[in-house]
Amino acid sequence: MKRYDLITPEGTRDLLFEECAAVRAVETRLQGIFKAKGYSEVITPGLEFYDVFNMKSRYFPQETMYKLVDGKGRLMVVRPDSTMPIARMTATRLREQTMPIRLCYSQSVYRSRPGMRGRSDEIRQTGIELIGSASRRAELEVLGNALEVLSSFNTDGFRLELGHIGYFKAMVNHLDCSADDVENIRGLIEVKNYPALNDLLDSLGDSDVSRALRRLPRLFGGAEVFEEAAALYSDNDADAALDELKGLYESVSALGYKDCVTIDLGLVNRMDYYTGTVIKGYIEGCGDAVLSGGRYDRLLSEFGCDAPATGFAVNVDSVARTEMKKVNFKPAAPDVIVFGTDGYETEAIVHGRRLISEGITAETAVFDTIDEVRKYAALKGIGRIDIVSDRITSENL
Amino acid sequence: MNNNAARPLRIALTKGRLEKDTVALLERLGYDCGAVHEKGRKLILPVGDSIEVVLAKAADVITYVENGVCDLGVVGKDTIIEMGGKFFELSDLGFGKCRFALAGKKGESFYDGTHVRTIATKYPNVARSFFEKKNMDVDIVKIEGSVELAPLLGLSHAIVDIVETGTTLKENGLEVYEYICPISARLIANMVSLKLRKEEIEELISQIENTLKSKVE
Repeated sequence: MKRYDLITPEGTRDLLFEECAAVRAVETRLQGIFKAKGYSEVITPGLEFYDVFNMKSRYFPQETMYKLVDGKGRLMVVRPDSTMPIARMTATRLREQTMPIRLCYSQSVYRSRPGMRGRSDEIRQTGIELIGSASRRAELEVLGNALEVLSSFNTDGFRLELGHIGYFKAMVNHLDCSADDVENIRGLIEVKNYPALNDLLDSLGDSDVSRALRRLPRLFGGAEVFEEAAALYSDNDADAALDELKGLYESVSALGYKDCVTIDLGLVNRMDYYTGTVIKGYIEGCGDAVLSGGRYDRLLSEFGCDAPATGFAVNVDSVARTEMKKVNFKPAAPDVIVFGTDGYETEAIVHGRRLISEGITAETAVFDTIDEVRKYAALKGIGRIDIVSDRITSENL
Repeated sequence: MNNNAARPLRIALTKGRLEKDTVALLERLGYDCGAVHEKGRKLILPVGDSIEVVLAKAADVITYVENGVCDLGVVGKDTIIEMGGKFFELSDLGFGKCRFALAGKKGESFYDGTHVRTIATKYPNVARSFFEKKNMDVDIVKIEGSVELAPLLGLSHAIVDIVETGTTLKENGLEVYEYICPISARLIANMVSLKLRKEEIEELISQIENTLKSKVE
């Protein structure tokens, strides 16, 4: 019988010492940013019913979720996302609260992905949700928070990218094709697959919309994108989306992150979920987006509470891994090791506490002889030994 | 933020024919590929001042680009369909052309009868999705080497494989039953690199596309 008791499952890993310290440092920093702005932390269960993640706008492909069955035979999943459980919780337990509600969280999500590709199935995320306001001010607050978060990372550079799903939706509304075709077009724009997108649009016949859709994946960059987009396609919905995005772009650019904010109108991921602005954040040295979010005004109504919402999540693991290349997170050895000679073990603990209350880090020695303590302290890089007997003597190493 | 100085644009090339064709293309664009021609056993090679070429197996090209250690990659559509992954597919380079096909012993009618067919292939995902679209259950056997052997030895009813000229099939008494899709070399990009190094990458792509266009004309 092959036993699996000495390894962790594929896509998961143990985090030791500096890895753990890096993750906690990022989480603490982000929580600090959010809590200072009035966000309250929540924790949702690690297990949820499958149904929470199986609706039109909150669809997760079933092969990407870890599933199990509860004692009553009901299908459950290991949380693949935090926003949907928070929407469920808000729509049920917080519906009578004064809006807007500002929530933040730090918890892992689990997604089953093809193995051996250098990706994890367990992802620690820290994020915020601002629920109950559809205003431009709410939008700006979330974008400002995203920028503050990205600029707090110890990396060489970052980029916040804004898109608006409304521009794409306006276009495909005027495209004469099936829902499947729209989904295919969306998928190809999302991955900027220019050749396949052209082939597919060729098969649908020539029109203003199809010509505009061909250019959509290339509509990314700075402020020049707005002019190009307006020239490319215009109707009431598309213009409204562009106006909203342009206003936000100008406002967040004025926050002082020049050249760090860009536009990509080809950000069309999860079309049924997002209803307005979509954001992604990137940092130097990490091959995938580390921040992702947007406006999702219909999600809560699916849980029976009609409230607009916006937010984002940060992939803490990716950020921590990238920061570790630049910052030393190695936990320092304690300042002092306290050794209680025979009969003075309790006094040693009391002395250790006293040191700690003075702001000194101290561990108590568990060895029987001072020679063992000296050897251990040298190996661990502990600089001072306090020996407790009827008096206290210090040895500096 | 200026990261242009950080490191040259890193392109992963699929070793072998796609590598030669890509190098020829880069030379037409005026890049000095001397280091690639005299590579010896080196795997990371400078091309001019602004580009660095990495030589890898097809599937590894995708892995390197997906994880962002290479900014761009040149890889066959066959590998892209088989492996999938998260990256941008920016352009069809027009070389390395061939097709995926369903093939088997000459003269046999593959679709007759009600038995479950066995398919031998190096591309199990391509084969599976092809038959899924036809709502057919098939048994798929993964073969690493010459897939043509499988129907000849009686292991499978047919194969799903890349067909370029069809000569190998013909010489072994096999024929194409059905073409599945065309294949050619693609330029792929890491999703973050394209955003953070937009100017450099777009410049290279427009150079490539102009060259490809002028070649067609």
